[in-house]
Amino acid sequence: MKKKILSLLLAGCLCLAACGQSAESSSNAESAPAPASAPAGSAEPVSLSGKVTVYMPSPSGLADKLAGAFTAKTGVEVEQFQGTTGEILARLETEKANPAADVVILASWSDGLSLKAGGLLESYTPANAGKINKGWIDADSTLFGYSASAVGVIYNTTIYPELNADWAELADVRYQGDIAIPDPEKSGACKDFLAGFSTGTDDGEDVMQSWADNGLTVPGANKAALEAVTTGEKGILIAGVDYNAYSSMARGEPLAIYYPATGTVVNPRPAMIMNTAPNMDNAKAFIDFLFSDEAQELVAAAYLLPGRSDVKCDNRSNLDEIPQITTDWDKMMEAASDIAAKLNAMCQ
Amino acid sequence: MRQLSATRKSVLPLIGLLVILGVLIVCPLIMVFAEAVISDGRLDFSGAWTMIADSGNLQTIWNSLRLGLCVVLCSTVIAVPTAYLLARTQLAKRRWLDIIFMIPFMTPPYIASMGWILFMQKRGLFQQLFPSSGNFSEKFFCFGGLVLVMSLHVFPFLMTMMKNAISNIPASLEESGAVFGAGFGRRLRKIFAPLLTGNYAIGALLVFVKTLAEYGTPYTLGRRIGYYVFTTDIHRYSTTAPIDFGRSASLSAVLVAICMGLWLLQNHITDRCSYRLVGGKGSRPAATTLHPAGHLLAWVWAAVVALAAIGIPYFSIISTSLIHLRGYGLTPGNFTFAHYAELFTTPKSLRAIQTSLFLASASAVICSALGTAVVLAARRRKGKLGKAVEAVSLLPEMLPSIVLIIGMMLFWNAIYKTIPLYNTIGIMVLAYVALYLPYTVQYVTSAFAQINDSLMQAGRTFGGSPSYVFRRITLPMIFKGILSGWMMIFIIAFRELVTASLIAPPNVLVVSTYINREFEQGSVSLGMAMAVLCVLITTAALLIMNGLSGRKERKT
Repeated sequence: MKKKILSLLLAGCLCLAACGQSAESSSNAESAPAPASAPAGSAEPVSLSGKVTVYMPSPSGLADKLAGAFTAKTGVEVEQFQGTTGEILARLETEKANPAADVVILASWSDGLSLKAGGLLESYTPANAGKINKGWIDADSTLFGYSASAVGVIYNTTIYPELNADWAELADVRYQGDIAIPDPEKSGACKDFLAGFSTGTDDGEDVMQSWADNGLTVPGANKAALEAVTTGEKGILIAGVDYNAYSSMARGEPLAIYYPATGTVVNPRPAMIMNTAPNMDNAKAFIDFLFSDEAQELVAAAYLLPGRSDVKCDNRSNLDEIPQITTDWDKMMEAASDIAAKLNAMCQ
Repeated sequence: MRQLSATRKSVLPLIGLLVILGVLIVCPLIMVFAEAVISDGRLDFSGAWTMIADSGNLQTIWNSLRLGLCVVLCSTVIAVPTAYLLARTQLAKRRWLDIIFMIPFMTPPYIASMGWILFMQKRGLFQQLFPSSGNFSEKFFCFGGLVLVMSLHVFPFLMTMMKNAISNIPASLEESGAVFGAGFGRRLRKIFAPLLTGNYAIGALLVFVKTLAEYGTPYTLGRRIGYYVFTTDIHRYSTTAPIDFGRSASLSAVLVAICMGLWLLQNHITDRCSYRLVGGKGSRPAATTLHPAGHLLAWVWAAVVALAAIGIPYFSIISTSLIHLRGYGLTPGNFTFAHYAELFTTPKSLRAIQTSLFLASASAVICSALGTAVVLAARRRKGKLGKAVEAVSLLPEMLPSIVLIIGMMLFWNAIYKTIPLYNTIGIMVLAYVALYLPYTVQYVTSAFAQINDSLMQAGRTFGGSPSYVFRRITLPMIFKGILSGWMMIFIIAFRELVTASLIAPPNVLVVSTYINREFEQGSVSLGMAMAVLCVLITTAALLIMNGLSGRKERKT
């Protein structure tokens, strides 16, 4: 009897090992480029095959949908790495010796510009380039703003039924200890807003300091910060990313958002082709796809601002309805990291 | 001549193992030190030194040490009385208490601390349950709260160790003390304390090292109260831009040095204070019968510990996983099973569970094989080489896992051109194997300690070939040890966070990173639902194992 149990157990272990092996080998097969002799796709002028590796930030739902739609259209597998802007940049840096990424999408235009300054990007003119919002492609055609987010003030309506304070007014004693901000070293959108706010307005940094004096806390990246306001731990989120708020509101959470009168920063989310891309053709096709009707509809459905001026959204404020600070992106790119670190230091 | 070839034959497997372990464990560690002291291809100790002596880093180092010390003290306060109660009093008969007190250890630490946060925060679950308490619960967010949460996670280690040590003290020692007129206090000081010092040193050190190595709780709770430690800093320098591997390597090197120093100290103490209590002679275990009031008090103590260690975090975790809209909290009608339904219907979460199951079982199987081989080889040929192999295989347990993982990242990136393993699932298996090998080695070694050599000699005398003796005598005898090691590895690997968050290739999510991602960018409720599922899976695995080994025992 004992022997039987023993052998059963051993067999179990062997089975597990075998399962493991097969799972591994099948994942290897997936990642290997498909053979060139694969039957050519039907109508595509240039038939694509193999895979494209894309690093993209949240929202993960959108990333998965874009990947799925692209695969359905071209037959190219999409390998994704999803992370915050900080994590994606870190991954690129770690892999410098053996680049794996074809397309990189970031949530921050200034971080895109610093990739460009590092000489990492490939220039390309995507399809539908004429329809893209003004300024959402850089002069050298390396950054493609296929979507954008803006930051605003998000508040919990069970605590504040109505709120319309301007940035500086949030330092009022009424809101003491009840204000939060996403960690600008993790949230690209928040970082760019702070950069724009301090370089584009006269008293940006003083206002930041007055928030800190009023008990500003930094609960974490975008979503974690929004979570603090959703649960009512804090009442007001300064520089909260708007698409997160819109999707929570659509689910029925007691939240509301507005853009303060002084204006905010609309941050195009750049998609970029790495000049070390192992699958260059697929990377270009992916960029073309991002500006297609289908992808832009997906973008709008995820409560982001579409990158094409002819695609409108009906579930959120459109681009022309958002008051904006005058922005100088080159200046912002230089200052962004320092300002982010400064804010975190103020709040410690 | 035959003698010589025989020795050579027994050396070969040892050398093979040494090479495997060298690549797996030693090379990555060397890489960490190299990264710390080599800059631009030159040896540069001053650079590393300035980095370490930087006031921010010194603060981090001090924070870690202070935290470790406080957690050791706090978990001693929790563990020692509980261990005494479970070893000596009527509570010892309730075997289910043993399992109850293992639950905190099986709960992933980042989940437990998330539970505490959700419970204690402003307008959190506590304030929703007791609105009249005002902002009392927010006092939790301080250094003391962090120490408490971490102690509640690690105390089972210390408790199990102390419990076994206390039960091994035979009644005769205590009784002879009493016969010679020593009072209870004197017996405690002169008999109990010295006999337990060695075990306590091991337990306390384990707790200390585990606290230094812990990432989940400092990351969730510590960061919130602005308390930064080694692991959070190392993790940040190596995962968030701008990346600074030199800095994380320097910090890692300091961490290794501290741990090594402590191990030496502990060895010294344990050597001086160990006593042979378990011999061939039978001994009578001692039992104290508490009078009714004491008995009641004992149960109250056990209940309080269980409430703090299990009740509060699990109440938070489970209720959060069932809440529909986070903005309305615990209100009637705001509960749903939708998050669980989503877990079972989205391919992403199912894939994460699958990957975790695969990683946990694969690494447990490989560890079991490799670890058993190490123990067998080292036992067959005692001497320096055998000792070295054994020591290297135990190294990962003495070091915070994040250090080894940083080393593996550096090492496998460096040799990517020759062996392109980095960025595949293979590197994850490898990392898990390196981390958890010590479990198998320890369990198998202790299983061996109970086998009398004469059994194997008898097998050989009756003409059994070495492989026959191994199959029919050695393996069945140590199988239970291998199985326990397998189980332990499975449980811990299933929920591993640091390794997965550092070296998982793109596209690969495991249970822990899935939960973390949901906390950071998705839905907290969904993350909590996954956490509940994760605990259910590991508990089921543990029960199955307990059932299997229990049945085996009865049959023999």
